[in-house]
Amino acid sequence: MSIAKPLLDYAKSLNPQRGFSQSFSAFKRLLKYHRRYPWYIAAITVLALIRSIFFAIEPLYTYFIIIYVIGPPTNTSLLSGYLLVIVLAGTGYAISNFALIYVHGRMSQYIVRDIRTDYYRSLQGKSFSFYDSVGVGDLTSRATVDLQLVDTFLRTWLGTVLNAVFFTIIILIIIYPISPIMTLISMASMPLIFYFTTRLWTETMPLFMNMQLIMGKLTSYIQQNIVGMKTIRIFRQEKDVVDGFKGVEDIYVNTAISAGKIQSIYTPLGPAILTLGIALVYVYAGYTLSPNTAIAVIEVGNIILFARYMMRLTMPIRDVSQTIGTWIAAYAGLERVLKMADAPREVEDTPNARDVKIGKGKLELENVTFGYVKDRPVLTNVTFTVQPGEKIAILGATGSGKSSLIYLIPRFYDIQSGSIRIDGTDIREFKLASLRRQIGIVLQDVFLFSGTIRENIAFGKPSASMDEIVQAAKSARIHDFIASLPSGYDTPVGERGVTLSGGQKQRITIARALVGNPKILIMDDSLSFVDAKTEQEIQSAIEEATKTRTTLIIAQRFSTIKTAEKILVLENGSVAEFGTHEELIARDGVYKRVYETQFVQKASPMLEEAGGS
Amino acid sequence: MSGSYGTFSAKQEEKRRRTTPDRVLIRRVYQYALAYKRNLRIGVAATIIGAFTGLAAPYMHAIAIDNIIEPYNFAAFIWWVPLFAAIILGNYVFQYIQTYQMRVVGEKVVAKMRDDMMEKLQVISLRYFSEGEAGRIISRPTNDANTVRIFLRLGLTSILIDISSILGAFSIMFYLDLRLSLLAMTVLPVAIILVWVLGKYSRAAYRRTLITTSGLTARMQEDLAGMKVTQAYAQEKETEKKFIKSQDENVKATIRAILIGSSYTPFVIGLRLIGTAIILFYGVNALLAGTIQLGILVAFLEYQFSYFMPLVDLVTMYDQYQSAMSAIERMFDVIDTKVEVVDAQPDRSITLQ
Repeated sequence: MSIAKPLLDYAKSLNPQRGFSQSFSAFKRLLKYHRRYPWYIAAITVLALIRSIFFAIEPLYTYFIIIYVIGPPTNTSLLSGYLLVIVLAGTGYAISNFALIYVHGRMSQYIVRDIRTDYYRSLQGKSFSFYDSVGVGDLTSRATVDLQLVDTFLRTWLGTVLNAVFFTIIILIIIYPISPIMTLISMASMPLIFYFTTRLWTETMPLFMNMQLIMGKLTSYIQQNIVGMKTIRIFRQEKDVVDGFKGVEDIYVNTAISAGKIQSIYTPLGPAILTLGIALVYVYAGYTLSPNTAIAVIEVGNIILFARYMMRLTMPIRDVSQTIGTWIAAYAGLERVLKMADAPREVEDTPNARDVKIGKGKLELENVTFGYVKDRPVLTNVTFTVQPGEKIAILGATGSGKSSLIYLIPRFYDIQSGSIRIDGTDIREFKLASLRRQIGIVLQDVFLFSGTIRENIAFGKPSASMDEIVQAAKSARIHDFIASLPSGYDTPVGERGVTLSGGQKQRITIARALVGNPKILIMDDSLSFVDAKTEQEIQSAIEEATKTRTTLIIAQRFSTIKTAEKILVLENGSVAEFGTHEELIARDGVYKRVYETQFVQKASPMLEEAGGS
Repeated sequence: MSGSYGTFSAKQEEKRRRTTPDRVLIRRVYQYALAYKRNLRIGVAATIIGAFTGLAAPYMHAIAIDNIIEPYNFAAFIWWVPLFAAIILGNYVFQYIQTYQMRVVGEKVVAKMRDDMMEKLQVISLRYFSEGEAGRIISRPTNDANTVRIFLRLGLTSILIDISSILGAFSIMFYLDLRLSLLAMTVLPVAIILVWVLGKYSRAAYRRTLITTSGLTARMQEDLAGMKVTQAYAQEKETEKKFIKSQDENVKATIRAILIGSSYTPFVIGLRLIGTAIILFYGVNALLAGTIQLGILVAFLEYQFSYFMPLVDLVTMYDQYQSAMSAIERMFDVIDTKVEVVDAQPDRSITLQ
């Protein structure tokens, strides 16, 4: 089976009928974001009105020139006055246009900022499993690329719509008294234009929605391909990867072309219909033209005025259908961003949460049941107690619930039933920040932020003194290495900084956990594929770090297990065994079996296959 | 991308200078487009003819006023109305063909380039994918390809339409009345110089927004990649502060770019108006002297309107063109990467005699 098959199936399964109502709800949400800027909206409305009025003046005064200056009777003395009005009105148009672009652009920036901030905040509340399942690149591109499309729409939409409305009304006010019948003839096509514009909207929207969904998936596909290139080479899947990619891209290209076809049918239709209306005006006017010369001049002037206004009117109509185009491009991305921003936080402070200081660090779990999905528990009735200062090594096969168990202590997830207490206080009575800052956590993923080593160690406690930082680094057995660097603790890490080995990075993350001198330490030490020397260094760091703290550690190495006071063996989400090494060996159960097969016989002290969770 | 620091810094990417000349890049993209030669030819031809048919409308108005309505020659509507309708219809059809064909070419060319990139990525040395490089590589078949797609779809056709509209309007104006055309165009050099000079500032401001955008992207990427750590240490507020700061910089830079970028529009509109006033002033006098007809004068006003905006458009298109060229260069960069290890030919079957 090709590795691109799920993606291909997904692209084929997309239902092209849902776009319209979704687009409408996204638009309503977007309108809500405008509420914070009533003055901007007022300014845009006024400016759009002024701009429309000034835009209508030149054809009107040209009309005056034709009937009053050229005549008959000819009266050239009026010409300079009319020209002055035309130039002044044009200047007014230019300035109001400029102001409109600026005010509109400013508002759009603020709204995009508000949306992005909401989005960012919502991401801060997402769980670990969310980040395990979604690509960072995809999440980022929503906040940048997708919102850029929203920005394009926001920059002009209101002004464009108001402009079309105002300009049509102003033209009607001017031309209706001149000739009601000709006005009717010239405006007859308006409903038709409206109809086709709506068709454009409803027909292309679902296609664009699909295109964006496919593109999002393609992007993560490319990303996975590039990040996982090594694995792909090892398993020789290169051809599969490319073939699958091409298959999905074909669907994308075909969708884009169908959307393009619909767009190219409807977009130029409005201006064409309007222009054809001019011919009707000519014919009608021609046949009703008076043989009286003086009246005829006025009537020719009228015709020219009508024709020119209708030519002018094609512009706002074109702008509106372009704006609709930008909306179609924007809304699918917006929808995704908003959906994310709307989702409730998974873990929140309870109403009676307070700052609690952890004293000794006694940890109790009682009948804890937990699952990521309701009715599918990962952990069932887990009960055990860790005395202050004790170290517990957690063992278990992949999927036994080890990681889930340690994630529950700092409340990365909430338990479904039972209770977890620290020094007798339920962890839900802690404020989240208060709880997490007092627990030192070393995650399986080794992640350092760009910045200096010092900033990274002090990440959890930015106010930490240099002494505290050095002390933490010493406990993590990384101080000597840092001190050997030319810039010491101020050495930057990351792309433009020093390159650190996996073991060095891991020890920095241990130092980071120790800097607040936490009473409770939680470590996921499932690091695999390290050389013997690195392992020795990390081992020594762990031993030193866990000496005086209540510690839960997911262990892979026998050396770690050996130094633990007690061992907790998890099997299918339940506690299979819990006790000291001697007790468990004497029990002759799972632990003894694992101990004998994995640690005693094998040279490599690995409890399970690499990459366990 | 978890498990590593070194998020992609687009900042350096933006600053990098282009080394391949435009014509080389254009020629290479053209090589790709050749696979869709038919679509391309039809598309370009439709674009140019479409622009010309669009320009025919004001001239048709002039004829209606001067040769039909004013001299009471209504019988002529018999040929005028069908001709006018045909021109409008033709304009519509050509616009349709142009939009559709150029879309086909744009989508397919970029898809082909992207396929080639993906194929190349599978065979080039693994060293290419070293730490910190992933973001940079990923952005090529995604962001860069997108920039090029948008350019081929919208930018290229606008450039073609603008150029044909300007040239077409000029030729018709010169044909209609040489003296009036020259007068109307006196403002043109000023307008071009103005747009170019102010455009320079605008481009600089725009580039600054690109850099702040990259900064924001990098910030966001790092924050998300490190979100577990941030949550584990309850540092959400602190990282958010940094994010807001980076975002505010971006907002400020963009607002500034909008201000500078639109600052030349009032001047351009002002110059266009002066042109209109000149046409009206001399036109009315010429009309009274009997050397020009009313319809022609009105047509002049419309033509002046229809070449000025494409001209401004063309100058502002420069940025889009530049960023598309940079994106194209980066894409070819991947496609051209040398393969260090080439697999031996698959075993040939050897027939034993």
